[in-house]
Amino acid sequence: MSNTISYDDVLRTLDDLPSLPAVVMELLNSIDQDDVDISVLAKKVSHDQALTAKTLRLANSSLYGLQVKVTTIQQAITYLGFQTTRNLITAAAVTGYFAEGHCPGFDDKAFWRHSIATAACAKVLARHMHFNQDYAFTAGLLHDIGRLVLVSCFPNQYSLTLAYREEHDCYLLAAERQVLGVDHVDAGVALAEHWNFSDTMRQAIAHHHDPEVRGAGFLAAIIHVADAVVHALDLAQVRDDLVPQVSNVAWTALGLDEEIYLQIFRETELQYDEISMVLLS
Amino acid sequence: MTGTYHQLALADVRPGMVLSDVLLDLQGQVLLPQGAVLTEAMLALMPRHGIDMLPVLAEQESPEQAAATRAHHEARIAHLFRKTDADAGNDWATSLLQRFILDFRLGRDHGKEHSHE
Repeated sequence: MSNTISYDDVLRTLDDLPSLPAVVMELLNSIDQDDVDISVLAKKVSHDQALTAKTLRLANSSLYGLQVKVTTIQQAITYLGFQTTRNLITAAAVTGYFAEGHCPGFDDKAFWRHSIATAACAKVLARHMHFNQDYAFTAGLLHDIGRLVLVSCFPNQYSLTLAYREEHDCYLLAAERQVLGVDHVDAGVALAEHWNFSDTMRQAIAHHHDPEVRGAGFLAAIIHVADAVVHALDLAQVRDDLVPQVSNVAWTALGLDEEIYLQIFRETELQYDEISMVLLS
Repeated sequence: MTGTYHQLALADVRPGMVLSDVLLDLQGQVLLPQGAVLTEAMLALMPRHGIDMLPVLAEQESPEQAAATRAHHEARIAHLFRKTDADAGNDWATSLLQRFILDFRLGRDHGKEHSHE
């Protein structure tokens, strides 16, 4: 009996996933555009009360240090800007999107702890690199999203993958390739296409494990390093977590010294506490 | 930066405690210098700056406690980095990250303290 899945199998299952709220799809697809009609979008988001509440709680967290409490999406846009608010809405929507608990052995909570921590760390890194912080945050949040596609659509095979990893104490990525034949990067890229992510975002998801590939882009390097830092800081609290090998090329591309890294570690921990309290509650 | 500090929730910080590190606000501006002795008035202002955690110097631990904490961190970090071979020259970025994390958890002078023992 073979447990392998082909890339086409993955593509076929994407349509079976429940769709994101239409307004969130619209936001994701317009990430490269600046001429979006903000007031229309604000109104659309407001129709989804749960989404609005979660977004506003994020906006009012100390992460953004607002002096006033925002009570509407429109107000959040006024104070935080469109890009940042868009990120918050996306984060709030995506973290509640995939059904949990279908795959024995897969810890959904730990998955999101890692993703949120990576988003926080990528945002901090981006600030130090003078790179777009909102891109970094969203890419960090979604870098491993392919794993949720595999877990949701092939729970039994994924369970075997987790068992294989446990037995061989190897990287989960290696176990995926060994057992399934496809990995979470493939599935992530497929989903990114399906959801019409921008090229920048797609590249970051596609190359967060091999940022030294030509054309991978700087965002991939940021996410790659953020991913390793978060594993090393033990933020997901997984007993047998493993720090992935850090690409020398990506590390050099960021060119940060120890002083800065120590500061980044601390900022990441603080921001993580704050965001996870809102998104995982 | 000193070897033993705690991130304490604002509610748990008492006047008289000492900042173990420079305190930045969310924009990265300096609010208070390292070593500042915290007063009631300062603590009352923290929420306004969006700060709910503070790095404060740990109260003097007994040497046994300190050693136990250190051993715990060292063991955990070694476990997380168990696939990293510090002597393999081609994997220097990962080794460097490991060293920075050790410095972050144990304080930058932890290596020196060891050599005195």
